[in-house]
Amino acid sequence: MKVEMFYTPGCPDCVAAHARLRTTAQEAVKNLVWRELNVLDELDYAVELGVLTLPSIAIDGKLVFTSMPTVAQLRTALIERSKGRE
Amino acid sequence: MFTIGKLASLTSVSNDTLRYYEQEGLVEPAGKSPAGYRLYDKDSARRIRFIKHAQNCGFTLAEIRDLLVLRGRDKACCGDVRTRAVEKKLQIESKIRAMKAMSKALDQLIADCANETQPVNECTIIAALERAKVKTPVH
Repeated sequence: MKVEMFYTPGCPDCVAAHARLRTTAQEAVKNLVWRELNVLDELDYAVELGVLTLPSIAIDGKLVFTSMPTVAQLRTALIERSKGRE
Repeated sequence: MFTIGKLASLTSVSNDTLRYYEQEGLVEPAGKSPAGYRLYDKDSARRIRFIKHAQNCGFTLAEIRDLLVLRGRDKACCGDVRTRAVEKKLQIESKIRAMKAMSKALDQLIADCANETQPVNECTIIAALERAKVKTPVH
């Protein structure tokens, strides 16, 4: 499974939140690929996925969160997604 | 301190627009003249220029109101404003993409119309538009 977080640098609170979400995701799903994408470096890809607000999170190429999720929300989304793949 | 007319000429904005900004809570008069006319100061002029510039960058009045709040908030940092600017860029890029898709669709229709002298009831563009299935957005 691949999780992509689109963000823009310059938010100190976001850095801590990213780390918490990354740890949660890696604990919830085995063999997870976690990518943090500076939206300005990946603008075309972000627009293709429909990213309009930041941060946004896509799971396996599908936009799932358009704002910062809680740890519990991300965990639930990942577990549901991994069940769907089984 | 100056009147609304003077503020309008200083900022190249019409009186009606200034009144609208005031109704929307974007600008407030700094005081009133003895005769009861609203008076504005240099900060009002700065705010108007800020609003105009932000509108030129694509921000809506609601978004500009947020920016003005951020501008006056001690705890806000440049990163907060930058994020809004990046989000606005994403929205604009998304619109550009949608417009390009529309333009491309028109290219196809124009190319399919081989004979512009045909009567309108044989027009391939009209026929194609009638045939086209409308895509309903997925929510």
